[in-house]
Amino acid sequence: MSDTTKRTRETPNSSTDPDGPAQAQYGGDQVKAAALQKDVGLFSGICLIVGTMIGSGIFISPKAVLSGTGAVGPCLSVWAACGVLATLGALCYAELGTMITKSGGEYPYLMEGFGSLVAFLYSWTTVIVLKPSSFAIIALSFAEYAAVPFYPGCPPPAVIIKCQAAASILLITLVNSLSVKLASYVQIFFTVAKLLIILIIVIAGMVLLAQGNTENLTNAFEGASPSFGTIGLAFYNGLWAYDGWNQLNFITEELKNPYRNLPLAIIIGIPLVSVCYILVNIAYFTAMTPIELLQSPAVAVTFGDRVLYPVSWVVPLFVVFSTFGAANGSCFTAGRLTYVAGREGHMVKILSYISLRHCTPSPAIIFNGILSIIYIMPADINMLINYFSFAQWTFYGLTVLALIVMRFTRKELRRPVKVPILLAAVVFLVSCYLVLAPIIEQPELEYLYCAIFIFSGLIFYFLFVHYKWSWTRRVMRPVTKYLQLLMEVVPPEKTE
Amino acid sequence: MAYRLPPCETERRRLVLCTRPLPLKPGSRCSNKSTLFTSVRGSRDLVSFSFTHTPEETCPARAMPSEEPNGCSMELKEGIDNSTFQDEESGDVEQGCAPEETAPQEDRDSGFKQIKPYAGMPKEVLLLYSSQPCYRLPREILFWLTIMLTLALIALTITVIALSPRCLSWWQSSTVYQIYPRSFMDSDNDGVGDLRGIKEKLDHFEYLNIKAVWISPFYKSPMKDFGYDVEDFREIDPLFGTMQDFEDLLAAMHDRGLKLIMDYIPNHTSDRHRWFQLSRNRTQNYEDYYIWANCSRTKPPNNWVSIFGNSSWTYDEDRGQCFLHQFLKEQPDLNFRNPRVIKEMNDVLHFWLEKGVDGFRMDAVKHMLEAPHLRNEPQVDPEQPPDTVDTEFELYHDYTTSQPGLHDIIRGWRVELDKYSREPGRYRFMVTESYDYEEIDKTMMYYGTSFVRESDFPFNFYLLYLPKYLSGQGAFDLVNLWMSNMPEGKWPNWVVGNHDKPRISSSAGAEFVRAINMMLLTLPGTPTTYYGEEIGMENVNVTEIQDPFGKFDPNSTRDPQRTPMQWSAAENAGFSTNKTWLPVHPDYKTVNVEAQKNESESVLQQYRALSLLREAELALQRGWMCYVWSDKDVFAFVRELDGLSRAFLVVLNFGRDAVTDLSWVAGLPDELTVHMSTRYAARGERRRKARLETARGEGLLLEYSTQRRLNSNPAFKCFVSEKACYLSELDILYKC
Repeated sequence: MSDTTKRTRETPNSSTDPDGPAQAQYGGDQVKAAALQKDVGLFSGICLIVGTMIGSGIFISPKAVLSGTGAVGPCLSVWAACGVLATLGALCYAELGTMITKSGGEYPYLMEGFGSLVAFLYSWTTVIVLKPSSFAIIALSFAEYAAVPFYPGCPPPAVIIKCQAAASILLITLVNSLSVKLASYVQIFFTVAKLLIILIIVIAGMVLLAQGNTENLTNAFEGASPSFGTIGLAFYNGLWAYDGWNQLNFITEELKNPYRNLPLAIIIGIPLVSVCYILVNIAYFTAMTPIELLQSPAVAVTFGDRVLYPVSWVVPLFVVFSTFGAANGSCFTAGRLTYVAGREGHMVKILSYISLRHCTPSPAIIFNGILSIIYIMPADINMLINYFSFAQWTFYGLTVLALIVMRFTRKELRRPVKVPILLAAVVFLVSCYLVLAPIIEQPELEYLYCAIFIFSGLIFYFLFVHYKWSWTRRVMRPVTKYLQLLMEVVPPEKTE
Repeated sequence: MAYRLPPCETERRRLVLCTRPLPLKPGSRCSNKSTLFTSVRGSRDLVSFSFTHTPEETCPARAMPSEEPNGCSMELKEGIDNSTFQDEESGDVEQGCAPEETAPQEDRDSGFKQIKPYAGMPKEVLLLYSSQPCYRLPREILFWLTIMLTLALIALTITVIALSPRCLSWWQSSTVYQIYPRSFMDSDNDGVGDLRGIKEKLDHFEYLNIKAVWISPFYKSPMKDFGYDVEDFREIDPLFGTMQDFEDLLAAMHDRGLKLIMDYIPNHTSDRHRWFQLSRNRTQNYEDYYIWANCSRTKPPNNWVSIFGNSSWTYDEDRGQCFLHQFLKEQPDLNFRNPRVIKEMNDVLHFWLEKGVDGFRMDAVKHMLEAPHLRNEPQVDPEQPPDTVDTEFELYHDYTTSQPGLHDIIRGWRVELDKYSREPGRYRFMVTESYDYEEIDKTMMYYGTSFVRESDFPFNFYLLYLPKYLSGQGAFDLVNLWMSNMPEGKWPNWVVGNHDKPRISSSAGAEFVRAINMMLLTLPGTPTTYYGEEIGMENVNVTEIQDPFGKFDPNSTRDPQRTPMQWSAAENAGFSTNKTWLPVHPDYKTVNVEAQKNESESVLQQYRALSLLREAELALQRGWMCYVWSDKDVFAFVRELDGLSRAFLVVLNFGRDAVTDLSWVAGLPDELTVHMSTRYAARGERRRKARLETARGEGLLLEYSTQRRLNSNPAFKCFVSEKACYLSELDILYKC
């Protein structure tokens, strides 16, 4: 694919009326190139990172870390240490992201570092399972938090949670396929909302501290039961709360000035999240004892009821906002991976096409949305997905390994950000631990099934990617053509 | 429709066509609908694009020269394009949508017009076709359908939420299990049960599917009335453990989703309580904490008598006055007309609510207030010499029970509990204890009204009389007594035993235990199970009386129903390895939890099956109850829920072997399936409604499927607390 024609990118026309007649938009010179626009600035980028990392976990169940450490002091230390680890991991990603400025998260790095096969397995697992299922889970928890206040004392009926989750998936998919700008505005709005509620909780906590509610924070290291296994478990759970640091790497191509904004967003966003997490945890401890925190079904809501009454309703409301924002962020980036994988021929081509009218990778986003809706249908998806978590960390580890490998194999690449190789090694070891820890802790057959699923991607790889079975293209061609006509999508144009 | 691949050769030819320079008005801008690209750049887009992108799909591009000298430009004139457009519109839609097969053959002005859509086409090609109605319409229809679907889902959600009935709280969905802590489990082998013992046995509740546990008092106490004489409301008696033990127990219970209900004893304290000490020496502010009256050493202020016998007044040497005690003389009555006392006792509530206690059983509430005028109470038998009046039942308690103001205090507690009920999943429960005997309306007042809430329910003690009226009719009367007096919309409850009353298995007869458990767990409302009832424990003959009431009157001793729980066939029934504070029942080798767990169809197994069924079946949880039969032997009722075809018929035999004919009940099918019989494993057997045989003491739970509801038939007397209907399509309940 030698690309010799260099062309200038046409100026994006931001004032097109989405509802106007389609033809009118294309009538003049002011036509967008059918390519993803560089719409994401530094602020949107930070919002994307912060908005996806801070989901609902910190509000609902920040207890896994506490239950592992047993006391307040070690608990806060673990939160802080996890923040440092996440920042280190993200710095590695900053190096990769500025070295290989392609969207798709780990995918292009694995491609460069280990070649097509590993990248395919990554995209296969992520596109088919990890991304849509995490979108589905976030949507389900959004629906649950939205419904719970109406059902005091009992779980809401499954049908309304599923309906609401499906509705939110449809809505978010719609927004994301209509406009990148709109999607990032949505992201900014909900991120600001979640930072606002964090601010409220933190300020309330400060006030309580000032009033002398410090009994849970004094002698914070007393009663700690530091055994290697439990601390490890606490780290494991704590790092999950920071999951999402790589969100920006999924949309590198859409970043304005990625060389500056990608690393900057990472080193602003992740420490910001860490500080939020620690302050919120301190605030929680001003109002409840560790045991109460462990037993609360929704910690922030309990905190709100105790501290913010009579305006305690803001907490559940903002938790719902926060979850919705996380769902939007998840959808936003998931679409990009599917798009890149399609572009490289690892997924059907149509997924890499771009909406003419809206300049969004709408086939990829809609594909992800459809899979997510399928995933919300079974009774309990959480269990299954938990087993796939090790796959996530495997790919993180491989990506960092790719960074180390490329230091030797691809010396010539420009690296605007360069992290010490030792740091990458630390992140790699941590991810090895996070892959192995749960399996060793509780070896279960399900992990094997997940591994089988991941490696079943090999069959597809060799049939469709490597040997390029002809009949698949014979089937896909008319499908692609009609879908193109139906959705008004075209292959992305090169813009330099 | 057979699909033909566009031959590469053709494609190539067509594309080459477009490189031919065309007459062009550079930069001309056509706002015309059909005009696509007028600029040179537009066509360059096409060429370069089809070249660079996806060679395997756009095979024509491979043949293209990489350097496009001039690029090609085009201008589609309105007329031409319109003609194409009209062609297709006037033609068959199917054809219109398959332009590669019906593409106009004429090649008049532009090569572009001939390009058929192909997979991976760039925007120039796409735009030639995508605005055709056959693509635009489905696109817009799909778009609007998606929006409509989203809105419909949101509307559906809102409708379901709006129509949902209030859901059952934890105290409604679970059995309340009463633990007498002295006798439940001994962890330190001192012969008396304790809190850590309870913690060891939490598995038992999980096994029985019980979520709410009421623990009789474990406050610091001199144990004159085994914990009901409280020396300090904020401490645990060392006999039962420490505050740390309590907190551990509470945390362990909450970890398992169990709720802890405590005893709250507002009427009196121990005479060793600090308040009483301060009150008897007239310390400022404490003088009126108790009810003091002037009297002489020998002559009490009036004729009031204690529940435990003799005068309820005792002369206090220190203060030179008499204090009132409606129970033991070591249990002086608090003065609830004193706002300080109300505040103190509210603080006690707060203390335990802060710790996370989930509910309170309010002890002896009807005794809280007494008439301030201290007049004599009328004698039941006016002829009886006043000197001989020394028991509770010889006076009408017009001035010592249920006095005006009582319910205001209880409403106040409700407000305090509600302050702690706001947190999600933390509803704080209140149940009141009041024996009002034939004055059931007084009991019902503790339910509150539709606009002021009091307790969630007052204990229903009327089934305690079942042994006295043991018959089908008797059971019906006692059940109906509560159901017909209960205010509308309230939640019933059923008690067949507690630490004050003889065990039902002894008073009714062991052969009725299973049927009584079945009745308890299939009636609407919350069942209460006193420890040991789930295995059919019986009274024990206690020779060495421990109970102060029993010491006053051996016939009233409550020791027999307070003996240690029978856990296993081990020494002392696995309760303790030391000498137990009350003797263990001699039959513990066979009647114990461990043995019954291993024995199918044991009392324990049946209890568990019913408890699980009660949770699983909506009809049993919150459905209608309709009486269908009562005679001297048999009491039968139906549990059904509107919209749910599965319903249950419960047939309980409290007399002799009997055959019941229910053929007149039109709503029942002719044949019903046995879900469970307490006599033997009969599950799945078919029974004819015209001939329902039950043996003495048998409980028969029959299930059937029907579309006809008894509750819609005025011939049947039916009750439901809050009406709800089931919608099977969505698996939801809705208000109806």
